[in-house]
Amino acid sequence: MIAKKVLLVGNFGVGKTSLIRRFVLNEFSEDYISTIGVRVSKKVVEYNNDSIKLMIWDVAGTNGNEKIPKTYFLGAHAAMFVFDLSREETYLTIEENLNMVKDLSGLKEITIVGNKKDLLTAEELNNVLNVVSVDVDLVTSAKENDNVESAFMKLTAQTLK
Amino acid sequence: MIPAKININFIQITTDFSGIITSVDAGEFAKKEFFVTTTIFDTCPFLEGTLEGLIIAESVLLEGMVIVSDNVEYNVDIELLKNENSVEVLILNRTNVYKIVDQLNQNRNDLFFVKREIAEKNKELDRLRKIADKANEEKSRFLAMMSHEIRNPLNAILGYAEMIAAETLNKNVEKYIKHLSYSGKNLKVIVDDILDLSRIEAGKLVLVNEEMSIENIYQNCEDTYKNQQKNTDVKLVFSVDKEIPKTILGDSVRLHQILSNLIGNAIKFTQQGSVTISATPVLTSNKEYVNILFTVTDTGRGMSKEQAVKIFEEYQQNKISDNRVHGGAGLGLAIVNRLVTAMNGKINLESELNKGTSFFIEIPFKKIEDKKLKNIAVSKTECSIKNKRILVADDDLLNQTIVAHYLKKQQANSTIVSDGLEALEKIESEVFDVILLDINMPNMTGEELVTKNKSFLKFNSTTPILALTANATKEDIKRYKKAGFLDVISKPFTSKKFVEKICSVLFS
Ligand SMILES: Nc1nc2c(ncn2[C@@H]2O[C@H](COP(=O)(O)OP(=O)(O)OP(=O)(O)O)[C@@H](O)[C@H]2O)c(=O)[nH]1
Ligand SMILES: [Mg+2]
Repeated sequence: MIAKKVLLVGNFGVGKTSLIRRFVLNEFSEDYISTIGVRVSKKVVEYNNDSIKLMIWDVAGTNGNEKIPKTYFLGAHAAMFVFDLSREETYLTIEENLNMVKDLSGLKEITIVGNKKDLLTAEELNNVLNVVSVDVDLVTSAKENDNVESAFMKLTAQTLK
Repeated sequence: MIPAKININFIQITTDFSGIITSVDAGEFAKKEFFVTTTIFDTCPFLEGTLEGLIIAESVLLEGMVIVSDNVEYNVDIELLKNENSVEVLILNRTNVYKIVDQLNQNRNDLFFVKREIAEKNKELDRLRKIADKANEEKSRFLAMMSHEIRNPLNAILGYAEMIAAETLNKNVEKYIKHLSYSGKNLKVIVDDILDLSRIEAGKLVLVNEEMSIENIYQNCEDTYKNQQKNTDVKLVFSVDKEIPKTILGDSVRLHQILSNLIGNAIKFTQQGSVTISATPVLTSNKEYVNILFTVTDTGRGMSKEQAVKIFEEYQQNKISDNRVHGGAGLGLAIVNRLVTAMNGKINLESELNKGTSFFIEIPFKKIEDKKLKNIAVSKTECSIKNKRILVADDDLLNQTIVAHYLKKQQANSTIVSDGLEALEKIESEVFDVILLDINMPNMTGEELVTKNKSFLKFNSTTPILALTANATKEDIKRYKKAGFLDVISKPFTSKKFVEKICSVLFS
């Protein structure tokens, strides 16, 4: 079985751990326990009739333009940048942050996910998406299990490119 | 030989490129998890994929990884070095360090979210406050407008009552007209109170800081109340302590209002005994200010503790079954309270049912430096406007009649017109000693008229112009003066006030 290493990065508290928990264990918790360093989870996914073992790196959230250690990206096949739709500061400088991730990882494309969709009305969501200066791949809710699977499928697809 | 303490905190392993352990080289940390020929990925899943990214002879540090040994989680740092055909893996146990980092990090993030929550709550509070402020402003504006609307007709009522009273009347009518005047005046006090309160609430009440004499104010109150006082069973005693400076800086009108309210109340509820009104200095260390304690003590009916607590609340009246307790609209004490607060003062009361009530008010007043001391002249010259040529423009027939009557009584030479255009015609063709203009008039308002400088040139270039209006807020008056009015006679007015105002501009 082929293994693919993927990373989830983004500001602290945006819901990286929650997305992974939802995807891997189908669980969600309202508690916020900040991730330290890195937690790695495994999940086997079916993609185009292939079984792929995803090694999912849950990287500690950053604050502002704090750097992620470059070595984390060694051998990575794809990365997801998560921001919090309900917190402006997690997406206002998204372009800059994405470029930094691209530089560090050498990856050409990053999957961009806006999480905590459940906290916004349709109108608010629209407004946020208008403000975000890059194309958002998916908006998700780890809490309501909305689009989480799709987000990781999109990420898996990236690993195969 | 590596000391045991260090030994148990690291382990060094060699694997092939696919993660199969080829040897355990040194150290004791989590030793149980690593056996030759098994995969290192079971314990170190983070190496799966990562190993593929290594470059030969380039050492790599992975900080903050997690491994599990014997069901215990450890935070570890990993050093990797890829050789020609093997990978050296050094695992360092850093659990103790990360425990602290973890704490700090969690605190930082929690703090962040708490701060955010507070910021959001503040935003919400701010929004709610703005709504409340706006509603309050609306209320004040409404009250101010209403009392203004009431003032105009009230002026007519009071004026006519005064006119009727001056006629020869039969006993009954005389009695009725007295009641009418009395009620009218009461109504005026209420309307003024409402206006005052709404002004204070809207932050529009500006206190002045002028030289004033407590003694004069007391004298004034004494004269007024002793004159009014018909009940010989109640003695009025006024006293001002000699130690109080002769002149200080403050707002005499508002202080008078405070005292009048309290004295009026005290008299109203005292059937027998005395009402004592005193002023004494309070010792403080402040050299710039003198604190004065005003006391109004009566031997009246007093009040219960419950009543005393609520006494300064607005409209308190309506809630007490005995709504005669404070007369008026029950705004008097609310105003007193606010005025005292606005003067940075304190108000207290002591009361006992059927024994009496004492109000204590302490207010700081700025002292006047000796050299700046001026004598406050209390001059009152009788003046006459006999034969003065006076133009009056007012569209309200009732007001016209009243003004005409007042002027006739003074034997002035009056010309009365009923709108701005008519007034303009007169101004362009005759000389006047004083011109009185209503503000709200059809065709041309008083404000418009007063700015037509050219029309005044020929005959009335120096004639003082007064505004006759019920719009008498500070801002209004300021605006009128800026437009060209010398002063304002605010409605409702008594004949005395009316003539005094005219005199003041004629002979100043
Ligand atoms: N309403 C809502 N809350 C969410 C969602 N996802 C996560 N949260 C909450 O957001 C908080 C942070 O979630 P985490 O998953 O710990 O965030 P993180 O990105 O891993 O944070 P760090 O590890 O500090 O970088 C937690 O209280 C979660 O319950 C979501 O989709 N909707
Ligand atoms: Mg996390």
